Amino acid sequence: MHHRSFRPLLALGLAAALAGGAQAHGPTRQKVVEKVTIEAPAAAVWDQVKNFEALQQWHPAVAASPATQGNSVGSVRTIALKGGGEIVETLESYSDDGRKYSYRAKDGGALPVTNYTSTIQVSPEGDNKSVVEWRGAFYRAFPGNDPPADKNDEAALKAVTGVYQAGLANLKKMAEGR
Amino acid sequence: MWRSESSPQGPAKQSRHTREGGCPRTPGRTAWLVDARLRGRDGLFFKGRVFVAAMALLLYAHAAQAASALAFITNQGSHDVSVVDIAQRRVVATVPVGRSPAGVAVAGDRVFITNPDSRELAVIEPGSARLLGTRPAGEQPLGIAAAPDGRHVWVADWQGQRLIGFDTRSLERVGEIALGRTPSGVAVSADGQAAYVAERDDDVVAVVDLPARRVKARVAVGKHPFALLLDEPRGRLLALNVQGDDMSVVDLAALREIKRVPLGRAPYGAALSADGTRLFVTNQHEDTVSVLDAQSYELRRRLEGFGHPEGVAVQGEELLVVNWMDDELSVLDVASGKERARIRIGTNPRGFGAFVATVP
Repeated sequence: MHHRSFRPLLALGLAAALAGGAQAHGPTRQKVVEKVTIEAPAAAVWDQVKNFEALQQWHPAVAASPATQGNSVGSVRTIALKGGGEIVETLESYSDDGRKYSYRAKDGGALPVTNYTSTIQVSPEGDNKSVVEWRGAFYRAFPGNDPPADKNDEAALKAVTGVYQAGLANLKKMAEGR
Repeated sequence: MWRSESSPQGPAKQSRHTREGGCPRTPGRTAWLVDARLRGRDGLFFKGRVFVAAMALLLYAHAAQAASALAFITNQGSHDVSVVDIAQRRVVATVPVGRSPAGVAVAGDRVFITNPDSRELAVIEPGSARLLGTRPAGEQPLGIAAAPDGRHVWVADWQGQRLIGFDTRSLERVGEIALGRTPSGVAVSADGQAAYVAERDDDVVAVVDLPARRVKARVAVGKHPFALLLDEPRGRLLALNVQGDDMSVVDLAALREIKRVPLGRAPYGAALSADGTRLFVTNQHEDTVSVLDAQSYELRRRLEGFGHPEGVAVQGEELLVVNWMDDELSVLDVASGKERARIRIGTNPRGFGAFVATVP
């Protein structure tokens, strides 16, 4: 064994191992919760969002959002974003009485997330106001330690927050007839 | 030395001699334990001794009612631990710990917290809520459980694939056992001889011979077991299968799965009622808690209105549920399932383990 020739390789290997292990920042689950108060009754607001495939009608970033089985659990919605990109989501639960539904996407598609689940719910606040809450739980797109900037936790949070805020702001405008 | 009633091992097993640690909190719980002991035995002498012991325990439990029960909830997002006085329904302290705290275990008069992102174990003195110190604990320490005598805690290293033991006084390592993939939930037997670790991505539970410091068996369970709960009076280990949306019931004598119980979506935490008759399981993805008969596993009821419920514990006649999405601790009445309080805690709380400690 020529130990001398192995030493530089060993040193490189050690350095790499130490550097890689130094920041064991594995992915932890993140969440976003966005709410908006709308000057319109809950029933009217629910009408706007209640159809899983109707996302295109109220979200300004969505070009198309057909769903395979309407509002039945298991229905798959394929979202085409304006400007390119796609997100495929499966409906997990639906409650017309509760004015809410939940869906998931194992792969975030155009969004830098994985294992994404989301719930949107409309609740009344008095007779003529309602609150819409859109919340999601997810992991960042990069599964290992030391993610690149466009796939880290911050990127995931920013992207999902952007989707919810844009959608809810537009929903408010539409529901209030502005 | 107290061992929290809500430890993942479930109610402590009665030994023949006076138990060192762990006292029942309510007369009902004492009665259940005493009944469990009497079931297999005859003889006035034995029954007489048990009766005396039971009376002593009842008196002790009554006197101990004056103590405070505190919940130590790990807040993975705010990197701290919320200390909640359960009776007062409020946070009495917030203890900054390492990065992304997840697991929690109580051993005697210490609370142990795993910090997977800063690769360390943090130790808190429960009465004062002081952080006593931290120790390196593998690559990604996650699940943790205390040995019933309170002398050791065992930490599952998710990334490092090992079980690491620490002395709870000196915080020195007492052992390390190589494990399979992504070890997560840990449970330790009442006699301290065995540890059980969910090896999530391998869909098995490793059975560790603690004195020999080696894995002695593996039990195949469902898809992605994460949290474990020991029910030793029934001779069972329960494994919650996060991807299977069900629970594996493992017979501890045969080391074999004997039943698969369907649950809600993504079951994450389980706890037994004080009298041992009810099992509570959080279904994280559907915001519910399943209430099952702890013997037959029939579904009795499903409680609703939670927000990504994860960690769960029982304290006396109350059920505590950690809501990761809502950043709140729910307090419910065990008998009726009615919510009595919601307490705001830190960000992204997990409460992964036995998080209730009693201080004098």
